[in-house]
Amino acid sequence: MKHEITRQGDVTVIALGGDVDLETSPKARELLLAAVKDSRRVLVDLSGVSYIDSSGVATLVEALQTARKQRGELALAAVSESARRVFELARLDKVFTIHATVAEGLG
Amino acid sequence: MPNRTELMSALDLLSDMNRQFATSLDIQDTLRFALRLITDHVNAEGGSVFLLEQDGHRLACRACTGPVDILGITLDAGQGIVGRSVACNEGVIVRDVSKDPDFQVVVDQKTGFVTRSILCAPMTVKDEHLGAIELVNKRSTDGLFTEADLLLLQTLAASAAMALVNARMSQALVEQERLRRELELAAAIQRNLLPEVRPAPFPVYGVNLPARTVSGDFYDFFTLDDGRIGFCLGDVSGKGMNAALLMSKTASLFRCLGKTIHEPGRLLGTLNSEISETASHGMFVTMIAGLLNPADGTVRLSNAGHEPPLLVARDGSRSSLAADAPPLGILPDNAALPEIEVALDGGSLYLFSDGVTEGTTAGGRLGRDGFEAIVTEHRSQPVGERIEHVLRLLRANVENNGDKLHDDITILAIDDRHDD
Repeated sequence: MKHEITRQGDVTVIALGGDVDLETSPKARELLLAAVKDSRRVLVDLSGVSYIDSSGVATLVEALQTARKQRGELALAAVSESARRVFELARLDKVFTIHATVAEGLG
Repeated sequence: MPNRTELMSALDLLSDMNRQFATSLDIQDTLRFALRLITDHVNAEGGSVFLLEQDGHRLACRACTGPVDILGITLDAGQGIVGRSVACNEGVIVRDVSKDPDFQVVVDQKTGFVTRSILCAPMTVKDEHLGAIELVNKRSTDGLFTEADLLLLQTLAASAAMALVNARMSQALVEQERLRRELELAAAIQRNLLPEVRPAPFPVYGVNLPARTVSGDFYDFFTLDDGRIGFCLGDVSGKGMNAALLMSKTASLFRCLGKTIHEPGRLLGTLNSEISETASHGMFVTMIAGLLNPADGTVRLSNAGHEPPLLVARDGSRSSLAADAPPLGILPDNAALPEIEVALDGGSLYLFSDGVTEGTTAGGRLGRDGFEAIVTEHRSQPVGERIEHVLRLLRANVENNGDKLHDDITILAIDDRHDD
């Protein structure tokens, strides 16, 4: 799994790439929880994700729940084709705010 | 230089101790025994074994002999002469402790003992620092430890270190074996949560192949007093023991509440509320609950974020029934989930976990298409055989490659067939 963290205005953008699965999700969890702790607005760019399994989704869910408890926001952007299937099938669009692009998420 | 008698006596001692290290099952006893022998042999007033604690930051006295009991006292790693010996991995002779800045006078102050000289050798195996053996106050006329004493102590410390590592490894194996037995017991309890296979013409048939000892998937079915059959299939996010625990909770809740709540959507809403209260680490459950009326072949179904079930009609045409609600455990809400009604009309409904579609066959990933093709092609066969076609493909690839299943495989089939 690759990752890149940038700060754009008051938003922390975390771009995840490659496989977000049982093996890599502990690292994703560490990054996401640190981001929602430090920033009230977090945008997760999923454009580079080639595969996400239920552990990866659970990591995003935990980060979302943590952000909400702290009255912060966590949204997803540019969900890659392979990840989109997982999100659509599981109706996670009812859980996450999902933006078509990172630019839209920053707006 | 030691004379021949002294050398023979030292070799006898080392041989005795090595034999003891090789045969003893209790390393603490062995360390105490070895310490007493070496203390007597070198003619010291007292001795102690200090071992690094698990965190590597503290040294604790784990064996001692002599006039004062310092068992259990701890020092910061690197503190004192013993700490220096461990940190530098070097044997130390201190002939007059009052001239050594590292000497910890506090121990003498606590015990009333007067330390004059110290001999200390580290216990190390490869790069692993375990601790050190320390002897105090040589009883000879000049009261000074010799280079020969140090050599002997270093040799003994090296053997003791090896014995300690071996003992710890056997303890770890025992612990591993205990965990394995516990996992097997947990798996047996989990298997008991699954319903027994009911022979045809009972219309519901399920299988579960766990990828690990315990499973994060589950299914259940039971007949209500009015003849309808409640059923479910679920998949907990992640794998391993944490998934298995949440699986057990969800399956138990379903079994209990499903007998009184006969609307699948309301049942899943209640389960969601219960699971959301205690779920942690973002864990969730994708789950389908349904109620079959065998009298007319209709099914009421509610789907919380799970892979869409497959409906194969009598003529072989297929349709999938997408979820209309997210998985359980994410949004704390007890509102009823949407329900649909499906007429099986002589066809079959298949609920399955993603371990099925993501499983690999000799020709690559089975996929939803592959699964659909197999159960449709064999739709005239009894349900057990249809499912076995799928399992055989997935198992064969795993066995041929000497691999293990990567995910739990769970399938529940609901038939509306009166010709079996």
